[in-house]
Amino acid sequence: MKKCVIPSLLAACLLLAGCSGLPAAREMGDMALLRTMGVDPSPAGVAVTGSTGPRAKGLQAEGEGALTLSADRESLSAACLSMQGQSDSYVFFGYVDQLLVGEALAERGVRPVLDFFARDTELGLGARLWLVRGSTAREALSAGGDQGVDSRLETLQHDSKMGIANLTRTAGEVYTDLLELGSAYVPALSPAGDEAAVLTEQGYGILKGEALAGFLEGEAAKGLELLAGGPSADILEAELPGQRVSVRVTSSCTKSGLEFSGDAPSALKLVCNIQCRLSEYRQRPDREELRELETALEGQERLRLEAALARLRELEADCTGLGAKAAMVYPARWQKIRDNWPEWFSRVPVEIQVEVRIL
Amino acid sequence: MSERREANAPHPRREPRIPGPLSLARLEEVFSDCADFSRREVYLHGDKGRRVVVCYIDGQARSERLNDYVLRPLAQDPMLASAPESELFDLMERGALYAHGAKRETETDPVVFALIDGSCALFLEGRDDCLVFPVATEEKRSVGEPENEPALKGARDSFVESLRTNTSLVRRRMRAPELKIREHIVGRQSLTPVDVLWIDGIADPDTVALLEERLDAIDIDGVEAAGNLEEYLADAVRSPFPVMPYTQRPDRFCQGLLEGRVGLLADGIPLGWVLPGTIDQFFKTGQDRAYHWLVASALSAVRWLCALITLLVPGLYIALVTFHPEAIPPKLALSIVAAKQEVPFSTIFEVLVMLLAFEVIQEAGLRLPGPIGATVSILGGLVVGNAAVDAHIVSPAVLIAVAIAGVAGYTMPSQDFGNALRLWRFLLAILASLGGLTGLALGCAGLIYHLAELESFGVPYLAPFTTGTRVPRGHPSLIRLPLPMMKWRDGPIQTRNRRNQR
Repeated sequence: MKKCVIPSLLAACLLLAGCSGLPAAREMGDMALLRTMGVDPSPAGVAVTGSTGPRAKGLQAEGEGALTLSADRESLSAACLSMQGQSDSYVFFGYVDQLLVGEALAERGVRPVLDFFARDTELGLGARLWLVRGSTAREALSAGGDQGVDSRLETLQHDSKMGIANLTRTAGEVYTDLLELGSAYVPALSPAGDEAAVLTEQGYGILKGEALAGFLEGEAAKGLELLAGGPSADILEAELPGQRVSVRVTSSCTKSGLEFSGDAPSALKLVCNIQCRLSEYRQRPDREELRELETALEGQERLRLEAALARLRELEADCTGLGAKAAMVYPARWQKIRDNWPEWFSRVPVEIQVEVRIL
Repeated sequence: MSERREANAPHPRREPRIPGPLSLARLEEVFSDCADFSRREVYLHGDKGRRVVVCYIDGQARSERLNDYVLRPLAQDPMLASAPESELFDLMERGALYAHGAKRETETDPVVFALIDGSCALFLEGRDDCLVFPVATEEKRSVGEPENEPALKGARDSFVESLRTNTSLVRRRMRAPELKIREHIVGRQSLTPVDVLWIDGIADPDTVALLEERLDAIDIDGVEAAGNLEEYLADAVRSPFPVMPYTQRPDRFCQGLLEGRVGLLADGIPLGWVLPGTIDQFFKTGQDRAYHWLVASALSAVRWLCALITLLVPGLYIALVTFHPEAIPPKLALSIVAAKQEVPFSTIFEVLVMLLAFEVIQEAGLRLPGPIGATVSILGGLVVGNAAVDAHIVSPAVLIAVAIAGVAGYTMPSQDFGNALRLWRFLLAILASLGGLTGLALGCAGLIYHLAELESFGVPYLAPFTTGTRVPRGHPSLIRLPLPMMKWRDGPIQTRNRRNQR
């Protein structure tokens, strides 16, 4: 009797918890696995483009080209549903791990796209988010031709982990920053041209609220990476007496602190610690020369930080969370200025201290 | 009708089995139609007035012993011819015949069973009793190597079919007189001796008593297979999981006794059971204590891991490929998609059929003689498998998943436990094909529930992993600590003396 009661109770609990239906089976053999998805605005609403990347055909046959599907509909879900009908296979969105957003859509607002990715059962916020600068996501996807662009995007992602490409961000990270900080930075790409058929890095796009506010590129982009604590590998060069040396930046860490005057912030202090390694030199510099070199590099990095901060303050976008991190020791005061922090961020004096250490 | 009902009804044992007073005629009547029953008349020292009859079972008694120790003195000893008839039996019982034992019997029942055990019975005309001399043959298989539990570093002897040989193998290792051996007879027709062994002062007397009670309650025709005992003694007959661990190796058997367990040996079965059995017993090998503790621990962890692999891999493959493809790494998913494209069958069908084919090939290999069995395995596994993949009948991923599960199952030291895992593997694969990971998780929950309710002689099957029962647990089961650190016998088996070293 007891043996029957316990399983019955368990089954009842499962049914009451909403587990009344079994999941649907779907064979993988007839699936088209979308790897990359691009979203642009269109007259109808949104233009969605999906690409599978190169596909293997059978066991010993040659690989097939990338399958690219696109649809223009009033909503994202309608466009995705429409794409299902365009393929002879079941289009599976569960492997979309690269999301390209066109500049025009970013200017209009990325929130609906992120919401859709967050709520869809197959899609997820683990996909890497890229901003297509000066073009549309559809063009960027077609830049890859038969091979698609997913391998290029994967390479950029792996290079970023190794510190030799721009910082990458998942849709979830961007979504979190937008909700918590009110702004976020997203790596930007652009199609390089017909002959190259690859995507090239174009700095970072700054999202404020939910729309694109501007871009950071060149030295400002490097400065943003220093603020975010993950510099892409960079080579700095400096002149020493009798030789020219190259130094490779290996890591950085930026700490921020706030000073208050009453309840109002009076200064934002940044301390940026940078570690470097000598990469090219004719003769190893002695201690004094190294100190001289470190000072020169500190100057260079300070300029980068100032460039990035100037642009961010201009946009009133503290997308690296400098204020929030600094205010962790003043939670009560932070509560008072939190809502107006972007405004404070644009006008509070900033003191930058850079410390370079050559290992 | 009433005769049939009577025949089908349980019938009580008759004690004694052959009632009545002893006589030569009665003995011959009992052994009528028994071609191996022999009787021999002998004149004492040629005196035709003094005649004795010697009865024995041919094949059970050893001819040389019978001739040299019984018949020769009877025929040649002049003292037996001259002694008064009233003293003859006393003389024979006390040394005139050279057997190492002699017993005077007056009832038929013990004489019959003594003859069956290989003794001879000596009748003297005019007397209603007899003398029984043990002259049993000792023909049996010699002690060989344990085929199922090969030893790379350790003793190479194994149990044989002779019970007394097996008890001697144990006694040679455990010379302490605290080793107790109590014999029970099981089987109405086979009358098989079954011995219960334990170390007095260490083993739990309640477990010994429970085992003996269950042995005495067995009322079957004969003990011809291990299952004849296991299925009557085990607590949970319906479970495929074994609860009575056994070994072919006397050293492992003795180790079990030292741990406070109770041993069981049966005549005719070259195995020894060590009770009670908890789940960790089925993952231990005889080599665990021979290897370095780090190696033994690593191998033990591998075996537990393999148990999970053999149990879960087919079900997990079905669940992931059919219901949750997003959980598969992209590159692996692309390979599976490419491999599946030209296969006409569903993944569920593929896996279940391949599991079945694996069992068929294994069974075919076992039933055939060694060299042919190996050929069948190679032919079935490699040639047919490869051809099936080439013909796009099965996808290589399925073949790999099933093969990994199958090979992982072979790491189980206990064949019985491995068989139980094979059965559950099918069940979990079916549940996974119905409900994906949900079905698989429910199946695993059911398996844990099932294992948790199993008991072996009052000890929980999962005792090594249970907590909160206020029972000391002993040492870790997943790894083996260095032996000097293993100072305690397992708590759940209620040993009377938990400390096993200084």
